[in-house]
Formats: sequence, C-alpha cells, structure tokens
Amino acid sequence: MRAFVAGFGLELRIVRAAPDALIPLVTAPVFALIFLSIVRESGRPDLQADALMAPVLMTLWWIALQNAGNMITGDRWQALLEPLLATPASLASVLLGRIVALTCLGLVSFLEVWAIGELVYGVSIPFEHPVALGLTLLVTALATAGVSVAFAAVFVLTRNAYTFTNSLSYPLYLLGGVLVPVAILPGWIQPVSSVIFMSWSADLLRASLKPSPIDDLWQRLGMVVLLGAISFLIGRALLFHVMQRMRAKGELAAA
Amino acid sequence: MGTPAVEIEELSRVFEPRKKPPVVALDDVSLAIPPGEIHGLLGPNGAGKTTLVKILSTVLLPTSGRARVLGHDVVDETKAVRPLLGIVFGGERGLYWRLTGRQNLAYWGALYKLSARETKARTQQLIERVGLAERADERVETYSRGMKQRLHLARGLVGDATVLFLDEPTTGMDPLAAREFRTLIAELRDEGRTILLATHDMVEAETVCDRVTLIDRGKVVATESPRTLGQVISRFQRIDVEGVDAAVLGEIRALTGVSGVTEADGGARIEVDEEGATRVVLGRLVDAGATSVKTSLPSLEEVYVQLIDDRGLEL
Repeated sequence: MRAFVAGFGLELRIVRAAPDALIPLVTAPVFALIFLSIVRESGRPDLQADALMAPVLMTLWWIALQNAGNMITGDRWQALLEPLLATPASLASVLLGRIVALTCLGLVSFLEVWAIGELVYGVSIPFEHPVALGLTLLVTALATAGVSVAFAAVFVLTRNAYTFTNSLSYPLYLLGGVLVPVAILPGWIQPVSSVIFMSWSADLLRASLKPSPIDDLWQRLGMVVLLGAISFLIGRALLFHVMQRMRAKGELAAA
Repeated sequence: MGTPAVEIEELSRVFEPRKKPPVVALDDVSLAIPPGEIHGLLGPNGAGKTTLVKILSTVLLPTSGRARVLGHDVVDETKAVRPLLGIVFGGERGLYWRLTGRQNLAYWGALYKLSARETKARTQQLIERVGLAERADERVETYSRGMKQRLHLARGLVGDATVLFLDEPTTGMDPLAAREFRTLIAELRDEGRTILLATHDMVEAETVCDRVTLIDRGKVVATESPRTLGQVISRFQRIDVEGVDAAVLGEIRALTGVSGVTEADGGARIEVDEEGATRVVLGRLVDAGATSVKTSLPSLEEVYVQLIDDRGLEL
C-alpha cells in the first residue's frame, strides 16, 4: 500500500511541476463539441448526454495508456528503474499508484465537458442517479489504471510504445462502447466487449443519466472493478517476468 | 567468524549482445567483506566494478556463481536483501529533475516503507547531513553536478541501509565536497554499516577503505588493505633520500640487496629486494650525512598502475 501511495504522490508532484501528462484534458472539450454537434445535427437530442460522456472515457483511457507506456521506459532512460527495483517496493504497485493519480486527475474532464455543454449549446448533464454516476466514474478511473499496468508491461518490450498507445486506443473506444453502445454493434463483437471493462463503464454511465432505474447497479460496478483487478494482476505477473528477463539480459539500464 | 556482510563465490557474468561476440564482464570472482568494513573496488573502465555492484544490488542476474548479502542470496532472496541495501550509482541521472531534492528523498523514503512521519524526519536529517539544506526545496535540475551526487548519496541512505553499495559516488564533486564525503563514509562505517565503494579515485580508496580489491577484465587481481597492497608489487620498502652525493649513491648501488637507485631532482629513490638490506642502506645514508631520508611502500596508485597499466586507454 505504501508503494501505491508513494507512486500516487510522486505522479501528483510530477504533474504539478510539469503538467504535460494531462494534455488529453485539452482535447476533451473539443471532442465533446464534435460529438454534441453530430448528435444535434442528426436530430437526436436524446443522445446529447451520451455524447458528453464519451470524451470523459476517452480522456481517462488516453491519459492512462499514454503515460503508462512511457513511465517504465522514461524511468529506464533516466537511470531510475534500477534504483527503484533495488528497493523493497513492488514496481507494479508504484506504477498503479502513478497511473491512478493521473486517471483521478483525468476525471476533471467530466467538469470540462459539463461546462462546454452548458456554455456552447446550453446542454446540461442530467444527474438522474448522481451516486451511481460518481461511483461509476471512480471505479472506471481505477480500472483504467489497472488495465494500463498490464499494457505498461507489454510496452517495455517494444522500442516504440507510442505507436502502440495510439493504435490500441481506437479499437478500445469501439469495443468499449464509448460513443456507440455495444448493443447496436454487430452481434459477434458483443462477447468480446463483455470482457472489456469500459463497455460496462460506458453502459453504466449512460444508465446513470437516464431517469429509469438502473438494473443490477452493484453487480455491474463489481464487474468493472473485477475486470480492472484481473487486468492489474495479469499486468503484475507480466511485469515480474519482463523485469526478470531484463535482469537476465542486463537491460534495466539504458546506455 | 560471523556471517559476512557480502559474500561472493565464483561469480561470473557474461553479456551476449546481439550480433556481437559475448563479453565476459566478471570471471570467477570470489570475495568476502566482513560487517563494518569499507571495501574499495578499484579498476579501470570496463573492469567489471559496476557489473558486480549491480548483481549485488539485485538488479542484474549472474551467469554463474553465488552472492549473498548478510546471508541472503541476491538472486533467490531479493525480498530479504533489498531492505538491507542502499545503492548509489554515479552520474547525473537517477533523480527526478523536475522535483525538488526534498521531494525526491520523500519518494524514495516511501519506497523503503517508511511512514510519512519517518520519511519527513529522515529526509530533513539527510538533507542536513549531505549539506543540501539551503537548496532542498529547489528543483534538482538547478543543482550542480556535485549537489546531485550528494542527493544521490542521501537517496542511498534514506532506507537506513545496513549495506551500502556506492558506484563512483564522488564523480563531479569538488575537492572539498569529496573530502566531506570521505568523512561521511567513515561516519557511516562507525555506525556499523558495511560499504562497498567502487571508485577510480586512488586517494579516496587509500583514505577511507579498510581493504581494497583490484579488479581487471572481470578478474580479481588482489585484495589487501591499501597499506599492504604495495607488497603485491614490492615486498620491501623504498628509500627516498636527499643530500647525498653521487659517489655515495654509487656505493649503495653496489650493496647486496639493492635492486635499483634512481636519481631525480637533487635526491634519489633506492629500492631494495632483500630482507635486511633496508637497515644497511639506512645506516650508510646516515653516515654519509643525508639531510632527508624517508621509507615507504609503493602507493596504491603505483600498485594500480603497475598491475593494470598495460590497459592504457583500451576498454
């Protein structure tokens, strides 16, 4: 737990000193405007709230994946990886703490899209189930970080993590039902989507903005947490093997 | 004898770079360092010093052999080893440059599972100990190289390690800071810590180390105290003399057991290679009215040059 807190605190201090990790917060309002314009132009004002939630999920994922891809390689290039591994702390926990710090900051995108909807089109977010909405955003931030740890382990093995982070984002937006609900995607995609935490998050977010009662709220929140936790455990195991491999090959330090 | 602080048995490490022949970085190295010793690791670039330090620090696996820190294997028992270690790798990297010195130390303290209160107190104590109190709340990117080295050292100490591995820790320090660093190292030894100091600096090794190991091309050349290491190249003392004329030096050159007489700058260095010859030579010099006579063993630097000088600039 202390390693997690250490990572969380470190990332907050890094962001405070140099906020470039939060660039996706600049694009969130832009995406919100694009999506809002599309649904309004299509004569579907009932989808306006959905259009505002999509950039929030995209921002969380982008912040997490982009930075997870660079954290280990960045530490390696700055000769920080070896001293970190030589401490009693778990690398996966430090990494999780760092990414959770970023995804929590990424939740600011919710306020941004809310503001941009109100200011530009006068569209309000309907807070029909505020507790469910808040919990969904929180567990989504945590699960996003958990999944990113798994990707971070894979990114260490590639010389160009940046390409992967870019190319991995769009399939996830599709399979996660970020803008378009999974239910209206082709049938063969839906089983794949069901194991992607973001599809559960996206459905819950949309449900929490509608007046009708939310079915199985706790089970669905539990699925988001479970899928995030499984991903983190896979990531932790992967990280261990990747680090063992690097210890064996002498690749923990960059020249 | 109790458990050595560091125990290395027939340790080897071979690197296998892509499309290049294998490189033997360590070749059958054995070494034991008792608790509370400052042990110097001396050798030219590429000798294997850093490789050895990295294996002991658990961040590099050996190809064969074993190494233990306070009885714990550095490959199989990393969870037991890591809380005992403090490491300081040389160079300017290894710190978060955009954070302050204090923030860097707070982070590393948390990684050693210190509570927030302990971290705060330890950070302040170390900042003062390494002389960074005035700049502790400024970004590391504004620090001089020497200041970064001092922060590196503080980072190595933040976990209150029993065993410290220091790899070229005074690189970039000015002479005064380096001297303070040596005092600090001696204090750390007095606190009961064991220190392995990899360095190029002969004065540093001679000043602070209880024993030194000379390492070259991955092999241990010698392990001795700095004072007695001279015997590796010469079992007998040399005599530096001033105020005797050439005729006396000629007589001494002819004495049994005198292996050489070198004249320079109004004085001479006389080398002997037999038991008892020193006493005979000293008596003759006193009789001849020498104004200055000094006996010495070869310095650590001379030993180093003698044993490793064929390397030149070759890596």
